[in-house]
Amino acid sequence: MPQRLPRNPFASSTTTTTVAIPSDRPTTRRPSTSKGNRLTQFFTSSPKSKEQQSAHEALLAAVAAQQQHLLNNPSPHISAPSLSLPTISLSTAKAGEANMDEPPTTLFQPPSVAEAKRQARIDAQFGPLGNQSHRYVSKHVGGELADPVIDEPPYYYLLTTYISYLVLIVFGHVRDFFGKRFRPEHYKHLKSANGYAALNSDFDNFYVRRLKLRIEDCFARPTTGVPGRYITLMDRKTDDFNKHFQFTGTYTETLNMSSYNYLGFAQSEGPCADAVEETIKKYGISSASPRADAGTSDLALEVEDKVAKFVGKPASMVFSMGFATNATSFPALVGKGDLIISDELNHASIRIGARLSGAMITSFRHNDMGALEKKLRENISQGQPRTHRPWKKILVVVEGLYSMEGTMCDLPGILKLKKKYKFNLFVDEAHSIGALGPRGRGVCDYFGVDSAEVDILMGTLTKSFGANGGYVAAEKHIIDKLRATNAATLYGESPTPPVLMQILSALKIITGELVPGQGEERLQRIAFNSRYLRLGLKRLGYIVYGHDDSPIIPIVLYNPAKMPAFSHEMLRRKISVVIVGYPATPLISSRARFCVSAAHNKDDMDRLLAACDEIGNVLQLKFSTGVAGGAENLPDGVTPGMEEEWKKANGLQGVIQPPRWSLREVIANGVQDVKQPLR
Amino acid sequence: MSFFSAPSMDKMEFSDAQRFVERSMHEITNRFQKVPGSAMLIRYIQSSYQDDPVRSAIELILVIFFVRYLLAPSYATHNNNFVTLTEEEIDDLVDEWTPEPLVAPQTAFEEADNEKLPVIVGPTGPKSKLSNGRTVTNLASYNFYNFVGNEQVKEKAIQTLRTYGVGPCGPPQFYGTQDVHMKTEADIASCLGTEGCIVYAQAFSTISSVIPAFCKRGDIIVADRAVNFAIRKGLQICRSTIRYYEHNNMEDLERVLQKVVKEQSKKPLTRRFIVTEGLSETVGDCVDLPKLVELKLRYKFRLMLDETWSFGVLGRTGRGLTEAQNVDASQVDMLVGSLAGPLCAGGGFCAGSTDVVEHQRISAASYTFSAALPAMLATTASETLNMLQTTPEILVQCRENIKTMRAQLDPRSDWVHCTSSPENPVMLLVLKSDVVNSRRLTTQEQERVMQECVDELTKQKTLANGVLITRLKSMPVAPGSNGKDDQWKLQPALKVCITTGLSKKEIEKAGVTIRHAITKVLTRKTSSKLALPAVS
Repeated sequence: MPQRLPRNPFASSTTTTTVAIPSDRPTTRRPSTSKGNRLTQFFTSSPKSKEQQSAHEALLAAVAAQQQHLLNNPSPHISAPSLSLPTISLSTAKAGEANMDEPPTTLFQPPSVAEAKRQARIDAQFGPLGNQSHRYVSKHVGGELADPVIDEPPYYYLLTTYISYLVLIVFGHVRDFFGKRFRPEHYKHLKSANGYAALNSDFDNFYVRRLKLRIEDCFARPTTGVPGRYITLMDRKTDDFNKHFQFTGTYTETLNMSSYNYLGFAQSEGPCADAVEETIKKYGISSASPRADAGTSDLALEVEDKVAKFVGKPASMVFSMGFATNATSFPALVGKGDLIISDELNHASIRIGARLSGAMITSFRHNDMGALEKKLRENISQGQPRTHRPWKKILVVVEGLYSMEGTMCDLPGILKLKKKYKFNLFVDEAHSIGALGPRGRGVCDYFGVDSAEVDILMGTLTKSFGANGGYVAAEKHIIDKLRATNAATLYGESPTPPVLMQILSALKIITGELVPGQGEERLQRIAFNSRYLRLGLKRLGYIVYGHDDSPIIPIVLYNPAKMPAFSHEMLRRKISVVIVGYPATPLISSRARFCVSAAHNKDDMDRLLAACDEIGNVLQLKFSTGVAGGAENLPDGVTPGMEEEWKKANGLQGVIQPPRWSLREVIANGVQDVKQPLR
Repeated sequence: MSFFSAPSMDKMEFSDAQRFVERSMHEITNRFQKVPGSAMLIRYIQSSYQDDPVRSAIELILVIFFVRYLLAPSYATHNNNFVTLTEEEIDDLVDEWTPEPLVAPQTAFEEADNEKLPVIVGPTGPKSKLSNGRTVTNLASYNFYNFVGNEQVKEKAIQTLRTYGVGPCGPPQFYGTQDVHMKTEADIASCLGTEGCIVYAQAFSTISSVIPAFCKRGDIIVADRAVNFAIRKGLQICRSTIRYYEHNNMEDLERVLQKVVKEQSKKPLTRRFIVTEGLSETVGDCVDLPKLVELKLRYKFRLMLDETWSFGVLGRTGRGLTEAQNVDASQVDMLVGSLAGPLCAGGGFCAGSTDVVEHQRISAASYTFSAALPAMLATTASETLNMLQTTPEILVQCRENIKTMRAQLDPRSDWVHCTSSPENPVMLLVLKSDVVNSRRLTTQEQERVMQECVDELTKQKTLANGVLITRLKSMPVAPGSNGKDDQWKLQPALKVCITTGLSKKEIEKAGVTIRHAITKVLTRKTSSKLALPAVS
C-alpha cells in the first residue's frame, strides 16, 4: 500500500496534505528517513525524522524559504520546486512532543488543476526567473564604442553562396522560359493584356516568384495567442510548393525567438492587462478622431507626459503607428534647403519620411564616424548643390539599435562631432528604447549621456512596451510646433485608449511605480539573456553580428539554402526564428535573427543553444575563426590585463583558435562569464 | 643600450620579413598549383611569352585596365561644380556656419490652436467631458453609430485582450500575422465581395503605401484635384507622372484621360491609374462611381478608390460607395478603406483581387515595415462590421439625424452652406461665396473665422448648450517651401460629425446652437480680423 503512494506527497498536485501523512507514517517499515527526499522531511510530523531535524531547524529553513520568496517576489513565479512550496509545519514547531492525533496544519495548499493550468499559461507568456544570478545591468563599460569585429567564413562558403544564387537564378529563368510557353495563365499578372499594362513588372517579380516562393513557408507564419515567451503557430501545409497553404487545424507551441517583445510585456495576464481591461470598460475601444480634432484624451496627455519624463525630454507626442511617426515627422522638421545625413542601414520608414520631406538626402557608411565627419565637412563647406548657399540646417539621422545587424549607434562619437559641426541629431530608438540601458531608457541611458544632447528622440511603443504606435520627444517648443505641422496628428487616427493604457502601465512598471522591482528585473533579465546567448553562440562557433549588449542577435548563414533549412530545423525543435535574406541584407550574408526577451529565462537560452549546437553541426554553420570572440577562458590567476604577456610567455602570440566549445562547457561557464567583458 | 640594440633588432626583423616573404611566396605558389587549370594557365603564359612577348605585354595592360575599371566608382563622385578647398578653409567654413533653429517659431495662430485643443476627460461619447470641466455635446468625433460606448464591442475586446494581449510585437511577415487579422481580412473581403483584402495597422498610412506599391516611375496617375493629404503623400513618393482633374468633374476627367491616351499612344504601354475618393475628405461630396467605372474601362485605366470616409457609411448596410451606387466592388481595382473611422476600431485595409492583395504583402512599405494591428482592434473591426450588416437600422437612424441637422443649418443659415453629400455624417460647412466675396476674406481669414465659431460653441454660457465641433484642418506646409507649389487650396470649413448617440431633439438643439454661434461670430462688431493677432 504505502509503496503505491508518491514518495513526495507534493509531487502530485491533486494529493492533499491530509492524505500525505500515511506516506511518511509507515516509518516502522522503513529503515530510515534518509531515503525519503529532503523535502518531505520538512513536512513530516513523525518522531523519527525529528531526531534528525529539530523543530528549530525546520523553522529556520522555512523562514529562509520565505525570505527567498520575498526576494524573488517581483518575478511572478518561483520555479525551483524547493522554493515554490514554502510550507511551515506548525506541528513541528511545538517543542519536542510528538502529537500524533492532530493532522499537521500547513499553510500550503497544492494548486488545483485550474490553478496549475493558469500558472502554466502565465509562464508561457513570461518565464519564471530560474536564479537571481541570471541578471545583468545593461550599461556601456566606458571608453570608445569599439566596432564589432566582423568575422568571415572560409572562402569555400562565400563561393558556394554565389554559386547557389547563380543556380537559383539560372534555374528560375529556365522555369520561366518553359512556364511562359506552356502555362501562360500563371504569368497573367506580368503580361499586358486588353490594353492594360502588367500590374507587376516581370523583372521585379522574378525574385519573389523564383526565389522567395521557395522559402515562403518560413515567412508570415500565422500565429495565435500571446507572442510572449512562447508563441503558438498555426500549422499549415502546402500541396503546390508554397503557392497556397492549407491549415491542418493543429497548433504548435514554440519558443518565441522572433517577436520584438524585449521586456516581455506581451501578456494577457498581470497588471498591464488588468489596467487595459479597466480602460476598455471605462473608455471604450477608440477615440474615433485625430489628435488635432477631438482625439486628445486625458490618457493621451498622461502618456505623453510619462514618455517625456522616461526618455528625459521636456515634451513628447505619441502616434498610433511607429512607421507613420517617422514618415510624418521628417516632413514636419526639414524641407527644401535642408540636408539629411542618414546612416546607410536606416529603416525604411526613415527613408520614406526623408524622401517625403523634400530635403536633400545623403548617407554615410554604417556607424563609421570617419565617413560621417567627411560627409559633414564636405557638405558644410560646399553648401547646397549648384548654388553653394549654406545649408539651412543639417539633420543627422541614426538608429539606436539596428534591427538587422544588432549594432548600436556610436552615440558618444556622434555627439563629439555634433559639438564641432553644429548639426541636429535625430535618434530612432525603435529597438533600443526599453531594451538598452540600466534603466531601460535607450541608448542615451546605455552610454550615460544626457538626453538633452540629442535634439529629437523618436521610438516605437510596439516593441518593448507590448503596445502599438510611436513617439517623438524633444524640447517643448519643437513638440508644440510639430503638433501644428505633423500630418499624422492632424489627419491620422489617435492611439486608442487600451493601447495608451498598455504603454502607461508598462512604463510605470519599468520605472518601478507599479510592482516595484519587477521593471528592474525585466531590464536585467533581457541584458543577461542577450549576453548569455551571444556568448554561447560565439563559443559554439557561430559568426554572430552586433554589439555585446544588444538583444538582437543575428547569426550568419551565408548559403541561401541554409535559410529554410535552419528555420525548419528550428521549427522541428519547436523554436520559431526569423530568417532574413536578400534584399533585406547584402546578397552574401543571409542570416537568422534571434530577438531575446525578458520573458525568456536561462533554460530557454540553453534550449536554444542546444538546438543551435545540433543544427550547427548538421548544416555546417560553425565557421567562426575566433577573431570575434568565443575564446577559451584564461587560466586561473591570469587577468585580462595580463593576457598579452601571458600569451607571449606561452608562445601563443597571434594564435587565434576557432572556438568550438561543447554545449556542456558553454552552459557550465555561461552564467559567470557573462558578467565579465565577453571574450 | 638601445642605441646598440636597435640595428640588431632591425636586422632581426629584416631577416624575419625576408623569411616571411619567402614562406608566403612558397605558400601562394603551392596553393596556385593546387587550383585546377593552373598548370594550363602557366603553360599558356609561358608559351605565349615565347611566341610573342608584345602580345603578353598588351594582355597585361588590358588586365590592369580591367581591374582599375572594376574598382573605379561607377559615377562621377564630384560634379564640375565642386570647389576644391584646403582643410583650413573647410575648418573656417565649418566654424562660420550657423544653422537655423530646428523648427521655426510657432505662428500666433498655431499657438492659439494648441492652447484651445479640446481634451476629453474620460470616454468619447455623444456627451463628452472636457478638461475645463464642461460637458459638451460631442459633434467632433467619428463616432457615428456610438460604437465607442457599445458594451458588446467592449466585451469582445476584453475577450481578445485576455487571449492575445495588446500588441502583436512584430511585423506581419515575421510572426505578426495572427488568426484574428486573417479573419478580419476575410470578413471585409466577403462583405465587399472582393477576392481578397489586406489589413494595415493604420488607416492614415494605408493609401500612402498602396499607391507607391503599384505606381512606379513612368506610370501615369490621374487624380482628383481635391484628394486628401494621405493620397497626396502617396502620389508624391511614387515618382509617377501625375495629372489632376477638377474635383468630381467627370467631363474634365474624361478630357484628361483622352489627353493622356493620346499622348501615350506612341510610347510603350505603362500602368495607368485613376485615384480618387468615395466621399471626399476635403469637400464632403460623393463621386459618381458608375460613370467613373465606365470611363476607366473605356480608357483602360485602373481605379484606386479611397473609401476612408464612405466605407461603413454609405449603402444600405454600410458597405460603402459600391453598395450605395450598385457597382460590383471587383470593378474597383484597389479599394482602400478605414477601420478606424466609422467602425471605431483601428487600422485600414485594401481590398481587391488576389494578385493585388498579395503584391502588397511584400511591397507596401507600411505593411511590410510596420508592426501588425493589435488583435483587439482587428476583432473590434470584425464585430462592428458585423453589427452594421445585421442591424442596418442604425444607418437609417444616422441618416435621419443628418437630415435633422442639415435642416437646421444648410437652408437656414445666411452665412454657411454644407458641401457634404446628404448621406455623409461628416458635415462640412463653408462660408457662402457671397459672404467671402463681400468681405474679401482670404483663406487664412476664413480659417480664423471657423476657429472662432468652434471656440464660441465650446464656451456657451449655459452649460447644457456647449457643443464640440471642429474645423477642417488645412494641409501642413513643408518647411522651406514658399507655399506656391500647390495650385489647389482647400476651403476652410467647419466639421460637424453626426452620431446616433443623440436623439433627434438633441441634434436639433445642437444645430440651432451652431447656427446661432456662426451668426454671432460673423455679425460681431469687432470684425473677425481683429479678434486674433494677425497671422505672421
